[in-house]
Amino acid sequence: MSTEQEADTADRESRRSGPLVAVTRWLENLGETAFAYLLLTPVFVILGAIALYPLLRTFELSMYVNVLGTGDPEFVGLQNYVDMFTGARDPDFPGSTMFLPDVSTSSSFPFVHVSGWFRSALVVTLVFTIVSVFFETVIGFGQALILDQEFRGRRLVRVAIIIPWAIPLVIQGMIFYLMFHPSTGFLTEYLANVGILAPTNTLNDPLSALIIVTIADIWKTTAFMALLILAGLQSVDRSLYEVARVAGASRWQQFKLITLPLVLPAVAIAVLFRTIDAMRIYGLIDITASCTVVPSLSCMVVETFNTHRGLASAIAFVTAGIIGILAMIVIYRQYKEGF
Amino acid sequence: MATTTEQRSDSEDAEDGVIAQWTKGVIGDDEKRARLYRALFYVACGFFLVTTLFPFYWLLVLALTPNSQILTGDWSLPVIGIEFPHPQGFNPQAFVEVFQQIPFHLYVFNSFVLATVTTIIVLLVASLAGYVFGRLDFPGKGPLMLGVLMVSYFPPAAFLIPLFDAFLGNAIVVPFLGIELFEPPRLVNTPGSMIMPFSALFLPLAIFILTTFYAQIPDGLEDAARVEGTTRLGALFRVIMPLSAPGVATAAVLTFIAVYNEYFFSSIMALENVPENWSPLVGGILSYQDQYTTDFNLMAAASIVGVIPILILVIVAQERIVSGLTAGGLKE
Repeated sequence: MSTEQEADTADRESRRSGPLVAVTRWLENLGETAFAYLLLTPVFVILGAIALYPLLRTFELSMYVNVLGTGDPEFVGLQNYVDMFTGARDPDFPGSTMFLPDVSTSSSFPFVHVSGWFRSALVVTLVFTIVSVFFETVIGFGQALILDQEFRGRRLVRVAIIIPWAIPLVIQGMIFYLMFHPSTGFLTEYLANVGILAPTNTLNDPLSALIIVTIADIWKTTAFMALLILAGLQSVDRSLYEVARVAGASRWQQFKLITLPLVLPAVAIAVLFRTIDAMRIYGLIDITASCTVVPSLSCMVVETFNTHRGLASAIAFVTAGIIGILAMIVIYRQYKEGF
Repeated sequence: MATTTEQRSDSEDAEDGVIAQWTKGVIGDDEKRARLYRALFYVACGFFLVTTLFPFYWLLVLALTPNSQILTGDWSLPVIGIEFPHPQGFNPQAFVEVFQQIPFHLYVFNSFVLATVTTIIVLLVASLAGYVFGRLDFPGKGPLMLGVLMVSYFPPAAFLIPLFDAFLGNAIVVPFLGIELFEPPRLVNTPGSMIMPFSALFLPLAIFILTTFYAQIPDGLEDAARVEGTTRLGALFRVIMPLSAPGVATAAVLTFIAVYNEYFFSSIMALENVPENWSPLVGGILSYQDQYTTDFNLMAAASIVGVIPILILVIVAQERIVSGLTAGGLKE
């Protein structure tokens, strides 16, 4: 049987010829390393053209001024970066006269007294990231603990928890725009009475808008956090709980002494992931409030890249740099644990 | 649920001594304590159900309420008088108007096409990469995987400017050398200007999901296929991929959702917000915010229509999503 088949395939192979067969045979005869690199070529091409090239080019552009002007671009070295931090280029940002959290006029930016757009954007991005990731972690942990239990209706609760994560950003933004828009939203009145939000023009008030954007983000991305933490919870050895129960540990002690320490690495990595992701915030702000009201780093790039390409590139590269440093931490952890 | 409210109202009404007694009772009595835990558990469940689902209820209320009623901003319930959003009037007409004002279905269709094409490209490329990373051993594997991972972390804003230039048809310049390579075709207002960045953006996650799944297929099965005379690539597409069908499905679902939901490139690369120029769902929804700013009921109705495909996908594929996010997110 087997010899017959071998003879058969050999026969077929000898009969077939042409370019396809030649290519197949060439592929088969490649060494493992060459074969591996060959199969990775499409990935290299796509990521090289759409990620690596733009990144390098962005860095190059960030060292020029007048990229879009009629004259030739002028090389200025790191001047764009310096100007960005000193605030010398603030007048170049669209809408900056409309929104400069000036100490004298701004009632709503108690936590920063910056007068520059870039520094505001940096502060806004960091505040948003820290606050949203903190709440997402705490609430996500709670959701993960619930999903870790066996109970009737678990599937329903799980779907309900995942759904916000899956809905399009533009619809999420629209929901919260409608929920807090002064002429439709019922929530604005409640929260304004407590003093959290500005009662009028809520979505044009920097602090109110930032709070709304943060709430919207927590609503959507907590699910992601919950799923990552849930994976950590489910990898905990269940027999440990048996032992603890026999030893007379209370539920709280079991949580504190078994669950928490064993899940902490998963939580840490989830927090890093979310931090990296939260630092990129743009769309939600663009839909719900406006980039001129709540400037984030990505917002600034989008707002300026059609007028001041060099400056926009500098902001983009700084944003990438900050995120790159955080990403290095994640990658270092992965590398230490081995893939 | 019922038990907590009972216990709570009991304890609130009673004097200190009774509370102390009750607390002591709960602490001491195992059965009571278990009941308390259970009650708290269901309260928490209910809380999360309400907070995650309420915004959808809010959309429905807005969509069904005639716009003139919405603008009065009065949500007080009849009889009780508490402010709580509820449909005032019944106006399903809004769901028809969504399609009459703009060709909303075309925007949704564009999103579908973009998501499907991107998913196919990503699955093909990521399958090859997942096979290499999951099943082959070769020098440079670790650093390469880290490189792929690194890309997924960068903000889209860092890629935007040169990509935008290239898609406008400006020459590609070798960075730092000033050598102009070639002038690419003008891709703005075509699907290419979105599919390309989407593919790069969502490729890493798919690669890691597929790497995990492909690595789990026993070597023996591949060897058997190879002995039978199948080529290495044949073994990937005829043995390994079918056997990792759940992994492939997971990567497909997550990529599809990610593209359908994408905002950054979707909003920037479609220069003109018309469906003929491949403006996706984002454009459709935002055109209600831009042009007809006061038609709140239409904004809500459009959002509901736009979210339905995703809702169905999540309900059908929830297992896939959970396993994919955890496998791809935590890297096993």
